[in-house]
Amino acid sequence: MAQKTKLIDIAKCTGCRGCQLACKQWNQQPAAQTENYGTYQNPPDLQSNTWTLIRFQEIADKDGVKWIFRKDGCMHCTDAACVKVCPSGALQYTEYGTVAINNERCIGCKECVTACPFDIPRYDRVTDKITKCDLCLTRIQAALEPACVKACPTGALKFGDKADMLKAAYKRATALGGNANVYGDKFVDGTHVLYVLPDKPGTYDKLPAKPSVPLSIIVWKDLLKPLSLLAAGGVIAGSFLHYIIHGPKLPDEDQNHKGGE
Amino acid sequence: MRKGLIQATDAFERIVHWSLAASCLILCITGLGMMFQSFNFIGTVMGGLKSLKYVHNFTGLLFIVALYFTIRMWWKEAGVFSMPEDLEWMMCAGGYLWHVDKVPETGKYNPGQKAFFLVVAGCGVMMVITGLIMWFPLSFPTELVRWMFVLHALGFVTIFSFFFVHLYLGTIGSPGSLDAMLSGWVTRAWLKKQHPKWLKEMEHEGKLVVYGEEKTAAGGHGH
Repeated sequence: MAQKTKLIDIAKCTGCRGCQLACKQWNQQPAAQTENYGTYQNPPDLQSNTWTLIRFQEIADKDGVKWIFRKDGCMHCTDAACVKVCPSGALQYTEYGTVAINNERCIGCKECVTACPFDIPRYDRVTDKITKCDLCLTRIQAALEPACVKACPTGALKFGDKADMLKAAYKRATALGGNANVYGDKFVDGTHVLYVLPDKPGTYDKLPAKPSVPLSIIVWKDLLKPLSLLAAGGVIAGSFLHYIIHGPKLPDEDQNHKGGE
Repeated sequence: MRKGLIQATDAFERIVHWSLAASCLILCITGLGMMFQSFNFIGTVMGGLKSLKYVHNFTGLLFIVALYFTIRMWWKEAGVFSMPEDLEWMMCAGGYLWHVDKVPETGKYNPGQKAFFLVVAGCGVMMVITGLIMWFPLSFPTELVRWMFVLHALGFVTIFSFFFVHLYLGTIGSPGSLDAMLSGWVTRAWLKKQHPKWLKEMEHEGKLVVYGEEKTAAGGHGH
């Protein structure tokens, strides 16, 4: 099956938040009461029932004030830290290369929340489970595009085969010129969500410039995890060898026998 | 009980030991069930992996209690090395690995046991601290929690492999030792071989409790 990818063209986004609403509607997530804290961004952050969010930024420079709208959500890594740490297999790669979550198998350990370099998974206290965007897996399986892409009125969101999206992204970045760049293909073995960013990655709130599977997660899962069984196996083998080569430590034979022998 | 056996441990020591052993074993087994997806089936008998998570977390609380008493009880006897004889013992590996004509005499705990105790106590405390932070990961800085997972895994690597050393040396590797933790009564020959200095000390101080003989002094552990 061809790898699928979502392309987010920041320059075309008008911040209408149709994607945010379509996501909630398709995934049947009611809105929660929020508070106005002086920004267009609402709700303030991703939530267990808000899997995508337009992050709003005002940047003042010598040319005046610039508005940035960035659609945030799961990046669907090819080398996903969340899948690496998930103890139950609830987080899995799909045939499309995306990362899906099997709600039934989630045990609410929150290890993925800690591991994710993009800070995406959210914990739901009520269900004691993790939630995140699954790139509308059931829609992809039915040959439909994700709900957010379907709702986007400006063409800022596109969805298709990974190779096509990469080509479109680079074409668009070249057309935009300046600092415009493609974000998503250079780390974690490539994500299945691509950005065309008009500015350098560091400009954007909560978007790591150089994301990676954290070193701690690699030491934990790729080194210590196999080592735990290897070390125990080595000790068992060593004990056996000790027993047949050196032999057990026995009390001396020539003891006098008053000690209950 | 045969006449002439000597009391090596009292009931309190054995209860603490087995409380720590049982909780530690449950933690290791349930931990494996979460560490390896191929061991997820361990959760099945507990009603699912989510229940296994709770068994792990709450057994951890029992482990804290057992660990507290373990450290309090054995710190003086097993937590402090007495130089230079312990170093000499270490240099010849206690005669466990190659032939040694005369192994330095050891007291109630030999340096190997002391090292074992210190590692278990140290790793145990580390497991408790890292485990509690991992239980509530959203209340701590992300980068800190990530390294807690690493330390927790490192502690497991250590404790799990040490467990098998302990299992071997406590049973077939050193026959007669298991009795010290089961009935608490050991043979004089075993004591003379394993802990000759302790035997002499007890005899000297009149603390030796011999089955079938009248106590010469109040035995016990002094908790």
